[in-house]
Amino acid sequence: MIQAIAFYLFATLVLASGVLTIVARNPVHSVLWLILAFFNGAGLMLLVGAEFLAFLLIIVYVGAVAVLFLFVVMMLNIDFAELRAGFVKNFPLGIAIALVLLAELVLGVGAYRAGALDLGTADGMAAPLAGESNIENIGALLYGRYLFLFESAGIILLVAMVGAIVLTHRGTRSPRGQQNIARQIARKPSEATVNTKPEIGQGVEL
Amino acid sequence: MDLIQYLPILIFLGIALGLSGLFVFLPMGVARLTGAHNPHADKLSEYECGFPAFEDPRSQFDVRFYLIAILFIVFDLEAAFLFPWAVSLDLTGWPGWITMMVFLFELTVGLAYAWKKGALEWE
Amino acid sequence: MTQTFMNWGMTHEWAWFTATIAGILLIALPLMLAVAMIIYADRKIWAAMALRRGPNVVGPFGLLQSFADGLKVFLQETIVPSASNKGLFLIAPIITFTVALAAWAVIPFNSGAVLSDINVGLLYILAISSLGVYGVVVSGWASNSKYPFFSAMRAAAQMISYEVSIGFILICVVLWAGTFNMNGIIEAQRGHGFGIVNGFFFNLLLFPMWVMFLISSLAETARAPFDLTEAESELVAGYQTEYSSMSFALFWLGEYANVLLMCALNAILFFGGWLPPLNIDLIPWFDVPGWIWLFAKILFFFFVFSWIKATVPRFRYDQLMRLGWKVFLPLSLAFVVIVSGYLMFTRYG
Repeated sequence: MIQAIAFYLFATLVLASGVLTIVARNPVHSVLWLILAFFNGAGLMLLVGAEFLAFLLIIVYVGAVAVLFLFVVMMLNIDFAELRAGFVKNFPLGIAIALVLLAELVLGVGAYRAGALDLGTADGMAAPLAGESNIENIGALLYGRYLFLFESAGIILLVAMVGAIVLTHRGTRSPRGQQNIARQIARKPSEATVNTKPEIGQGVEL
Repeated sequence: MDLIQYLPILIFLGIALGLSGLFVFLPMGVARLTGAHNPHADKLSEYECGFPAFEDPRSQFDVRFYLIAILFIVFDLEAAFLFPWAVSLDLTGWPGWITMMVFLFELTVGLAYAWKKGALEWE
Repeated sequence: MTQTFMNWGMTHEWAWFTATIAGILLIALPLMLAVAMIIYADRKIWAAMALRRGPNVVGPFGLLQSFADGLKVFLQETIVPSASNKGLFLIAPIITFTVALAAWAVIPFNSGAVLSDINVGLLYILAISSLGVYGVVVSGWASNSKYPFFSAMRAAAQMISYEVSIGFILICVVLWAGTFNMNGIIEAQRGHGFGIVNGFFFNLLLFPMWVMFLISSLAETARAPFDLTEAESELVAGYQTEYSSMSFALFWLGEYANVLLMCALNAILFFGGWLPPLNIDLIPWFDVPGWIWLFAKILFFFFVFSWIKATVPRFRYDQLMRLGWKVFLPLSLAFVVIVSGYLMFTRYG
C-alpha cells in the first residue's frame, strides 16, 4: 500500500518536473526542475530495489552533472529572448528527433515483446549471486564478467577529461606569478636578512 | 534489501521540509501582525556597499569554474566505480583488484595531463 | 521502540508509525537545541582564546544568548529584495536546512539506535551532503546581487573540489570495514588497535586518511580557515548578504548542523562512534551508554573545529584549490591503492 502511494508520488513528481523542465521560461528554473526530476527518479529506483543505483543517480547526476549545468546557465549571459526565437525555428527539428526516438522505443519494445531479442531478463532460473547486498552483486558482476566494458568506461572518462581541458583551458596567465610554497617554506631567516652595523654618517651598501 | 528501512527517511524528509518551510514563512506572517513588515524601495534594493548597483550582477564568469566542475564529474564517476569495488573485493579477488588498478592508472594519466597543462592552477 | 508502543495496545503498523515519528522528533528537536548551544559554545571558545569574555549577559553565563538571538531574528521583517527571484530566494534556506537535517537519518546513536539502518548508509550521507551545494548556489543566484553571487560560485567550486577527496577517503574506510552500513563500520572498529583501542585512527594506513578527512570536512562546511565563501573583508556576508530574519537564521542553523554532522562522521568513521575508546571493561558491571561516548566524541571534534577557527588564518582561494586538487586528491588516490593492496595481501589474497 505504502509502496503504491510512494510510487505514484514519485512518478507524478517525475512527470510534472519533467514537463516543467521543458516549459520553464528561465533556464535556471529548468535546471532546478531537472534536479527535482532526477531526485524523484532516484526514489523510483529505490522502490524497485536498486538502492545503489538510486544513490548513484543522486551522487553523480544531482551532485555533479547538474552542478555543471547550473554553472553554465548561471554564469553564461544567455539572452532569453534570442533563445525563444530559436525555439520556433528549431521546432520541426525537435519534433523530428522526438519522433525518431519514439519510433525506436516502439520498435525496441515491439521486438522484445515478439521475443526476437533475449535481453537476459531474470526468469528466476539464474543462480543467485554470491554477495548479499545490491552493491556487492553489482561489484561482483562489473569487475568479473563485464571487466572490459568497465575498462572502456575508464578510457571514455579519460577522453572526456582530456577533451574538457583542451576545450576550456586557456593556458596559464598569471600576472601576479605563482606561489611556490616549497620555496617559501625552505627559506631561512639567515638568507633573507642581513645584519650590519654601519658607522655613523656612512650608508649601508646593499 | 529492506524497503521498510527507507520509509523513515521519506517521512524525515517530509518533516524536515515542513519544519524549514514553517521557519521561513511563519516569521513573515508574524512580521505582518506585529507591524515589523514595512518594505520600501531602498530597503528592497540589492546591497552594494551603499551606492546603487553598477551593472547586472549575473555577469560572465571565469571559465576555470566550468573546468573544475567537469573535472569533478570525472572524478566523482571514478569514485562511483570504486564504491561497489570496495565491498566486493572478497568476491572478485586479484582479477578485480588488477582491473581497478588499470582503471585508476587511466585516470591518473588524465590527472597528470591536467596538472601538466596547468588546468589545476589558480593564480 | 515499536515494541513499547505495541505494549500500550496499538496495532503493529500504528506502533511502528508512532515510533518512527517519535524517533524523527527525537533527532530533529535535540539537534536544533544542540545547534543553538553549539553556537554559544563556539563564541565562548573563540572568546576564551582571544582573552575575551564572550556572551555573558543573557541568562547564567550567557547560556541563553542563542535563544535571545533566535527570538530577535524571529520577530524581524523578512526582506525579499525586489530584484531577486522571490520563489527561489525563499526556497534556498529551506533546501539548506532540510538537507542538513535529513543527513542525520542514518547516524547510529547506539547499537541498534538508528532511525533507518540501510545497507548503503555512507552513500546516503554522501548523496545528501552533495545536495548541500544547491542551497548555497540557489541563494547566491536568486539574490541577484554581486557579493552573494561571487560567494555562491566560490562555495560551489570549493565544495565540489573537496567532495572528490572525501569520496576517496571514505572508500579507504569502506575497504577496511567491508560495508557501507554505518553500524557495520562502527562494529568493524571494535578492538582495531591491538584488540584494545576502538577506532580506525589507530591504523597506520588510515590515520593519514583521518587527518585529510578532518581538513576536508573543514573545507566542505566552509569553516575557517576555508571560510572564503563569507570572507567578510571581501564579500560582506557571502551568499547570506541579502537575507534577513529567520531565512538568515536557517542558513546558520543548517551550517552548524552540517558542522555537527561532520564532527559525527569523524567520530563514527575513525574514532569508533558509539564504542567506548578502549575495548576493555574499565569499570566492571557499569556500562557508559553508547550515545554518551558518541556525543563526547562529537563535542571533542567540535572543540577542534573552533580551536582551528580561533587560531588559523584564512586560506587564499588559489591555496585552497591547490590543497584540494594537487595534494589531497593524489594522496587519497594513492592511499586507495595502498590500502586495497595491503588488504589483498592480508585478507582477500
